Amino acid sequence: MNKLKSASDLEELRKQILSRRDPKKPCITVCSGTACRATGCEKVSAAFQGELKKQKLMNKVDFRTTGCPGFCERGPIVVIQPEGIFYQEVEAKDVGEIVSETILNKRVIDRLLYTDPQTGQKVVLEKEVPFYKKQKRILLDSNSLIDPGKIEDYLAIGGYSALSKVLFEMKPEQVIDVIKQSGLRGRGGAGFPTGIKWETCRRTKGDTKYVICNADEGDPGAFANRGLLEGNPQSVLEGMLIGAYAIGSSEGFIYVRQEYPLAVENVALAIEQAEEYGLLGKNILGSGFDFKITIHRGAGAFVSGESSALMSAIEGKVGEPRPKYVHTSVKGIWDRPSCLNNVETWATVPPIITKGADWFNSMGTERSKGTKIFSLVGKVNNTGLVEVPMGMTLREIITDIGGGIPNGKKFKAVQTGGPSGGCIPEKFLDLPVDFDELAKAGSIMGSGGMIVMDEDTCMVDTAKYFTNFLADESCGKCIPCREGLRQMLKILNAVTAGKATQDDIKRLEELSEVVRDASLCALGQTAPNPVLSTLRHFRDEYEAHIKGSCPAKVCKELVTYYIDPEKCQACGLCLKNCPVGAISGKKEVVHVIDPEKCIKCDACFEVCPDKFNAVAKISGEAVPPAVPQGTRVKKRR
Amino acid sequence: MNTVTLKIDGKAVKAEEGMTVLQAANSAGIDIPTLCYHDKLEPFGACRFCMVEVTKGGRSKLVASCCYPVEDALIVRTDSERINRIRKVLLELILPLAPVGPLLGLAKKYGVKESRFPLDKGEEPSYCILCGRCVRYCAEIKKLNAIGFVGRGIDRMVALVPGIGDECVACRECYEASICEGGKFVPSAEEFAYPLHRSWPFFKSPRRRQTPHDD
Amino acid sequence: MEKSKSKYVGVRITDQQASVLSRLQKDSKLSKTEILLQGLDFLDEFYSLGLDKQPLSEELSALENEALHHAAELKRVRRREEAIREMVQELRNVDEIVDKYQCDKSAVIQILLDIQAENHWLPRHALMWVSERLDIPMSQILHLATFYKAFSLKPRGKHLVTVCLGTACHVRGGPRILDHAERVLGIKAGETTEDLKFTLESVNCLGCCALGPVIVVDGNYHGKMSPSNVGKILSSCT
Repeated sequence: MNKLKSASDLEELRKQILSRRDPKKPCITVCSGTACRATGCEKVSAAFQGELKKQKLMNKVDFRTTGCPGFCERGPIVVIQPEGIFYQEVEAKDVGEIVSETILNKRVIDRLLYTDPQTGQKVVLEKEVPFYKKQKRILLDSNSLIDPGKIEDYLAIGGYSALSKVLFEMKPEQVIDVIKQSGLRGRGGAGFPTGIKWETCRRTKGDTKYVICNADEGDPGAFANRGLLEGNPQSVLEGMLIGAYAIGSSEGFIYVRQEYPLAVENVALAIEQAEEYGLLGKNILGSGFDFKITIHRGAGAFVSGESSALMSAIEGKVGEPRPKYVHTSVKGIWDRPSCLNNVETWATVPPIITKGADWFNSMGTERSKGTKIFSLVGKVNNTGLVEVPMGMTLREIITDIGGGIPNGKKFKAVQTGGPSGGCIPEKFLDLPVDFDELAKAGSIMGSGGMIVMDEDTCMVDTAKYFTNFLADESCGKCIPCREGLRQMLKILNAVTAGKATQDDIKRLEELSEVVRDASLCALGQTAPNPVLSTLRHFRDEYEAHIKGSCPAKVCKELVTYYIDPEKCQACGLCLKNCPVGAISGKKEVVHVIDPEKCIKCDACFEVCPDKFNAVAKISGEAVPPAVPQGTRVKKRR
Repeated sequence: MNTVTLKIDGKAVKAEEGMTVLQAANSAGIDIPTLCYHDKLEPFGACRFCMVEVTKGGRSKLVASCCYPVEDALIVRTDSERINRIRKVLLELILPLAPVGPLLGLAKKYGVKESRFPLDKGEEPSYCILCGRCVRYCAEIKKLNAIGFVGRGIDRMVALVPGIGDECVACRECYEASICEGGKFVPSAEEFAYPLHRSWPFFKSPRRRQTPHDD
Repeated sequence: MEKSKSKYVGVRITDQQASVLSRLQKDSKLSKTEILLQGLDFLDEFYSLGLDKQPLSEELSALENEALHHAAELKRVRRREEAIREMVQELRNVDEIVDKYQCDKSAVIQILLDIQAENHWLPRHALMWVSERLDIPMSQILHLATFYKAFSLKPRGKHLVTVCLGTACHVRGGPRILDHAERVLGIKAGETTEDLKFTLESVNCLGCCALGPVIVVDGNYHGKMSPSNVGKILSSCT
């Protein structure tokens, strides 16, 4: 492969690639993101390749493994192009049928289609699937069109034309102006105006400047960055190149967490290929602009995603935050100007350059422009990555796109913004989602994690979960965060064990304020948010725990498992599945749980057949006394 | 070097550019409590006792004065209800861990009689608040790096580097009152020097601290 | 070489020494005098290196013990020489890794990650070697090794079982999966089984939230887990 030495070289190559591709040719695409791999997409891909070979269709039908389109709940996902026929939960054994029926005979296989839960109808085309319909996928759509391991796929959809435009038709200051005008704000959580960050970096004197991509995505529940980095790494590289040109940098870093091995692999491959084609390295496209990117893997620390900690880690020191009173855009890595942006921010840059600032700021709200990718997960029917314009309401996202709460349960709260955010109850569901609005409910948009919770979720347990997470991930350097979170966790443990008092809640509130005010970095400063927001919206649950009951029946110390003798049919499933032998009973005899032995593992509750529904979780009420041994079951009529 | 003028607690203070607010305050005889700060060492910003309120251009925020650079026309308050509440709660958090000298003095000054966060049953005071002065002293002044931080978060502790032993026995300066404020506890030679082949990973902390890593 | 005034030939030697001398002559084809002179040069170097000093031989025996201790950690019985040879090989591998990153200090975390991946833990001598080659104080290396979850200062099991405890997995019952795995394996998260077969870890989000609860066994992801599935997957690991 000869390096591309000019803008025209690039366009020439693009033309060649496109001329070799027939958009009308049938193409089987299989998502190969991490989640689909977990559900077996690799077997499906192997089966397709085998089948195409067997039927001698290799020349007539294209096959492509793509990046994550976002509907992870229904993987493995197969989309047949050019029609866009959408098959979900495909297994290797379905492959033969797909090839003979859909590819050769143009017939759709009903059982593999998505069923709309509202109408009961089958949906054939990807763009008609309700999950995708209401989205505006300026970033995620590309994932379905390319194989992340093939730079030529990215070139085929127009990749690197933005870079070419920037290098040969725009001055750095103009690039910065476009970004400023677009209204792009950082997608990593803080929402700082990207254009201003670039401008500050450019204006700071210094020969050596750095461009950094923060791919540490540590918020549990958020995986938008993973989807982008695995699915379309070249778009991130292109964004970084444009940013580097704008600020005057020739070296960049991608800091990616090692818990994303596929993302590390795909980005490394993307860099290699970009270098091969002369799109990274020296004298890019003959413009005289140099830029190289190094990958820096994280090693399992959430706090290292904080910008000053990340920069320490890149310097080879421990990834702990430092007191940051001078912006890292001025003094960052090795005290040099460093421009750090999130994966999603970088990926948004090429479309803004290509389609213009006006195109971007026509979407979204007054102060939050463009689209945002959310990871919609938890107790919701359609989980996965959703990309919507800023300003869509929580209700629309959860109901229209997410398909509502499964199993007929009631919505309780949606947790947004990760461990720095809060839990939002039903009455705020009509709030538009953007950088500023969710603060009204005591939360933040953050990096896009959206975890839906239903009536079976205990909000005190949720607050405890986040506090535990943060205590685990705290670097431990400063007293308020280290000791404060330790004590907050102690109190929350007491609450969930039913051993807390009103005074404890008072201490909890006071601690929360000090941790918020005095901590060194944003981890500590936002750590009390889950506690404070649940105290604000769900205080009744805290009160209930103090009185000894867990309304959601989650907190083990406050729940007793009980088999209703009126409902038990002695099927024996619970006894078989009890890991500690706490259940006694036999055929025709009502089964009884020994509360002394019971470890509240929930196994009996899960396996008891729905038609009997005999296992009950009791909290805050008296547990009926055990029936005499040997009581016969009441037969159901 | 440019000179800037800032106001600390209403008093006009002249300082050189590059100084921190704490250094400026000290030069003007204004007292700000500190624990992890030492004038011979690089500022660390970990204890948060030196926090002050700075106002510039109408916007106020709480910052650690040992790290915050002086600016012209900066308005600084070292004393307010909010700041004192922070110091009080911080004291309540660390007093059970190190009920000694300087901390007791600060407790008296800020009216902390008893901590609402006592140790658990069976937990012993560790006499270490992880201010890091010993670590920084050994690294920056002695340049021996014989003592360092290990672990993260709640499990963070200060420990001797296994095998360095001999040099430590000879020096022991990290324990002197000018460096370690957690107590005048002087361990025996045996406690310092320990052989390489104890059950690894085994970190001996100069402070008796109940952690999973302690032997 | 200048001829000195002093003589040293004509000294009585034992039979043992004589046989050594004649073997040396045969092997090296040098004359007796040349052999003796070379021997002196060798001794000179020996003394200049301080090899005659007591502490060094103590250190060498400490090194031997280190190697045996290392083998013991891995539950392997080794003879002294084998243990030392294994350790030397591991150190050579460390060299390769350090060289791959051009001995760049700022790449220390990447180097440690590679060593961890190769050995499934960070052996003590590997850390000391990294400290030497990169000129980073051991205190820093130890802070790095104990700060990050990816690193283990104890040998890890053959199979790494990671349970996701991210928020989405938590809401869908992740902790119960962990409880079950702990029961089945008989260890707590962060520990390794006695026979070094399994290590159980928890992780704060793998990014597969849509499929929660998720566990990873030896790099293979399993979604929508239930306690009964856990047992099945673990028993399929040899």
